[in-house]
Amino acid sequence: MKKIHIVGIIVIAVAIGVILTSLKNTSTYADFNEALANPDREYHVVGKLQKSQPLIYDPKINADEFIFTLIDNKGVEKKVVLHKSKPQDFERSEQIVVIGKMHEGEFHANDILMKCPSKYNDGKQTM
Amino acid sequence: MHSINYIGEHAWLGKLGNFFLILSFAAAFIAFVGFFLSAKNKDYLKFARTAFYLHAFAVIGIIGSMFFMLMNHYYEYQYVWQHSNNDMPMRYILSCFWEGQEGSFLLWTFWNVILGLILQRSLKNEWEAPVMSVFSLAQVFLSSMILGIFIGDIRIGSSPFLLLREHPDFLNAPFVKSFMENPNYISKLNPKGLNPLLMNYWMTIHPPTLFLGFASTLPPFAFAIAGLWMKKYKEWQQIALPWTYFGILILGIGILMGGAWAYEALSFGGFWAWDPVENSSLVPWLVLVGAGHVMIVNKNKGGSLFTTHLLAIGSFLLVLYSTFLTRSGILGDASVHAFTDLGMQGQLILYVLVFVLLCVSLLIDNSLLRVSYLMGSVLLMFLGMIYGYKTYLFYVWVIASIGLTAYSYQKYFPKENDEEELYSREFWMFLGAFVLLLSALVITYFTSIPVLNKLFHTKKAPLKVDDYNLWTVPFAIIILILMAVAQFLKYKKTNKKEFLKKIIISFLLSVAFGVACSVPLYFLNNFSTSDGLHKWNLISYFLLFTAGIFTILANSDYCVRILKGKVSKSGASIAHVGFALILVGALISNSKKVILSKNTSAKKVESLGEGFSGQENIFLEQGDTLPMGPYLVSYEGKEKRGIDFYFKVNYFLKNASGKPELAFQLQPKIQDNPRMGRAADPDTKHFLNRDIYTHVTAADLNTVVDTAKKNAYNTPENYIRHLGDTILASNAIVVIDSLVSDLSQAEYEKNDSLLQVTVVLKAYNVNGEVFKARPKYIIKKNMVIPESDKIEELGLKFSFWKINPQEGSVEISMAEKVNNSKDFIVMKAVMFPYINVLWIGSITMALGTFIAIRERKRTLKIHEENHGS
Repeated sequence: MKKIHIVGIIVIAVAIGVILTSLKNTSTYADFNEALANPDREYHVVGKLQKSQPLIYDPKINADEFIFTLIDNKGVEKKVVLHKSKPQDFERSEQIVVIGKMHEGEFHANDILMKCPSKYNDGKQTM
Repeated sequence: MHSINYIGEHAWLGKLGNFFLILSFAAAFIAFVGFFLSAKNKDYLKFARTAFYLHAFAVIGIIGSMFFMLMNHYYEYQYVWQHSNNDMPMRYILSCFWEGQEGSFLLWTFWNVILGLILQRSLKNEWEAPVMSVFSLAQVFLSSMILGIFIGDIRIGSSPFLLLREHPDFLNAPFVKSFMENPNYISKLNPKGLNPLLMNYWMTIHPPTLFLGFASTLPPFAFAIAGLWMKKYKEWQQIALPWTYFGILILGIGILMGGAWAYEALSFGGFWAWDPVENSSLVPWLVLVGAGHVMIVNKNKGGSLFTTHLLAIGSFLLVLYSTFLTRSGILGDASVHAFTDLGMQGQLILYVLVFVLLCVSLLIDNSLLRVSYLMGSVLLMFLGMIYGYKTYLFYVWVIASIGLTAYSYQKYFPKENDEEELYSREFWMFLGAFVLLLSALVITYFTSIPVLNKLFHTKKAPLKVDDYNLWTVPFAIIILILMAVAQFLKYKKTNKKEFLKKIIISFLLSVAFGVACSVPLYFLNNFSTSDGLHKWNLISYFLLFTAGIFTILANSDYCVRILKGKVSKSGASIAHVGFALILVGALISNSKKVILSKNTSAKKVESLGEGFSGQENIFLEQGDTLPMGPYLVSYEGKEKRGIDFYFKVNYFLKNASGKPELAFQLQPKIQDNPRMGRAADPDTKHFLNRDIYTHVTAADLNTVVDTAKKNAYNTPENYIRHLGDTILASNAIVVIDSLVSDLSQAEYEKNDSLLQVTVVLKAYNVNGEVFKARPKYIIKKNMVIPESDKIEELGLKFSFWKINPQEGSVEISMAEKVNNSKDFIVMKAVMFPYINVLWIGSITMALGTFIAIRERKRTLKIHEENHGS
């Protein structure tokens, strides 16, 4: 066997190791009940804004705390505490992904992704 | 359906455009067949060339027609309606052109045509036919992406020349349906215009550069396929070398420009966010860099012929794959780039598969096996279409293709038998290319998580920026070390002692420098308090930093001592220094960035774990001043220009006497984008050794009054006061100074029913300046007619309503201007240290690559001349 093959195999092994380890560590999409079952794990929860509940953001008191209620795709409602400022256009979001973990019955998120109704597609939406 | 004669439709243009579309597709196909045949029979060459020129002409025709309809505002065409309008400045016409998918495909096709023409002119030898036939085949595919014809129910491509009322996406839109009855609908159209977020110079320069980069992965690919086809595995590599480095240069510039755009104008909070769209341009670049380096090895020594083919082909296939990733909509919410599905998913997958099929079958040097492979693949495709189980059949095909590749490599591919020496340049360069390929595959794997979720029905979330950094840094460290070491080794065999003697100075110096810098940067304060993962992060930063310095020193040393400072020979070394500077700059500016807007009132949430800081935003009221890092920061107010809200943020520094002095003003903005909602756009103050980045994360845009309402006043409030009392306004203290009876008794009696008293009000603002107002109290024919007075400077309006002689008090109402109410922003400010190192590195790398290309072209010319004579 050539030296280059040996080195090559080592590098491939490392790369596979990287992929496998990262797989173990990355968070997964889940619903609130799963997140509730594993309070220490980080999850991505997809859902919709519960519009009947109040949005609480008082930057004067804390610019990095925004509280709202999310209904996940299974219909479970939970209070979400986002430890960031309130995102622009939050009210208009159609779908929300919160990233974080369950803590004392509330979902604490360190990041948020929103899908806003894009006017790009307004032709398609009518189809 | 009855036909209506629509007024003002320029149907001829669409017909012309569609004619060019079909011509470009057909001519590319004929050129492909022609060049294919001329590989065996030179007689077809002239015919094939003519077809390719015709294709080039047709592509120019398409572009011309598109510009014509955009410039003349033919809004009956969906593309014009969607991407432009009358209000838009003409300088954005290029941006409109490539904002849409069809336009960007066309831009890509255009660059391919230009490169193809140059390549065809420069290749007056045996390579012309095979290389150009691959080129033409790629053009067949690309042209079909914008063909927009139907075969049965299947639409092939999406034409930019569709009328709005015929466009499949809008067929059922109510406003389009209403056109059907209105022959004069064009005058009622309301074009959408270019997305305002894209109205900047980046949108003018970035896409053409990036697409030229994508296009320039085609020549190395075409050469590699031609090599497999002609079974001349080595000869093409020297000719392809300058082309490959041209691709490295342009694609590299395109990627860095994307980073600069993100840093300057988008709210990513940095220049690299590992967004899928960024990754999918980085990955082909990494592979192309690998290909270029193996080509150099092969030119000087030979040996890793298979790897060059693998890398040169891989780079182009990865461009196709990333096109699929970013344009099929499969990434969903994993990317900020808003690409929508044009229904071309199937087409894109098909192209990737066809090219894989082509490569594998060319490698199989046994006609029976080759035919069985091709037939088997087609059979699997039909099985999938008829019976389903597409995912499983796809795996079968992938495994079969990989197996056959390995088999053919073993059996048919020429291999170098003598082993590479450990102390040889080729060994380490080859290893470097290999690490580049693997890092590219790891990044591709991470980026493809949404695709893998679909294939395996898993629910993995996309990777976070920190995780990307964590997993790619080790690769970067290895690559940097290889870049430092490899040049000091000679091809074939190097004297070990000599090598160590040459490299040891740079090595020791860089370790010393690395330790000296890293200890205060990473270890002194942070290390002992960090947990395991952070400890590893800090160690990896130290290693990356030291390896970067090692690369910089070793390559500079190589330039000076070995190359004796000859610039024309130093291209590679300069480019290596540039690459290392980019990584070092990225490392320092990112790992040592300082959040200036530390939110002290926030709850401590670190206990929740990794990623929870919750202290990055600060609340700032208009007129307030808060300390932020070394600065005092105040928010002056906002200004609305068009759809943009500019927030004026003043940074003060204390001067020698301790008095704050204005250091600079930043104007981050929020765009109230009618298409995509509100988008924040940061503003950055650049210093030589640091940048101050400022970004408004939340603000109440509604308190902004548009100019029409600017002079409106809030509801007045009543105050009962004695002389000498005060009224508090939001921006001033108002003192009731004195009362003046304006009319003499005589006048009063003469007018009999008139009483007029003036109250003198003195308003003191924050700076102690005094303003006066004199509202009047008038009684005429038993009616109170107050005459109000304003202080324009303070936005205050006073009316004098009543005099109570018994109490000796007066009743005054005060109204404040609407925009007197306190406005606020929530902002984030970050200091990025030494980010200029990154930009200097970018320029250095581009310059080095450019020098290397020039040198390669020169040696190629000498080589050809020697062969010719």
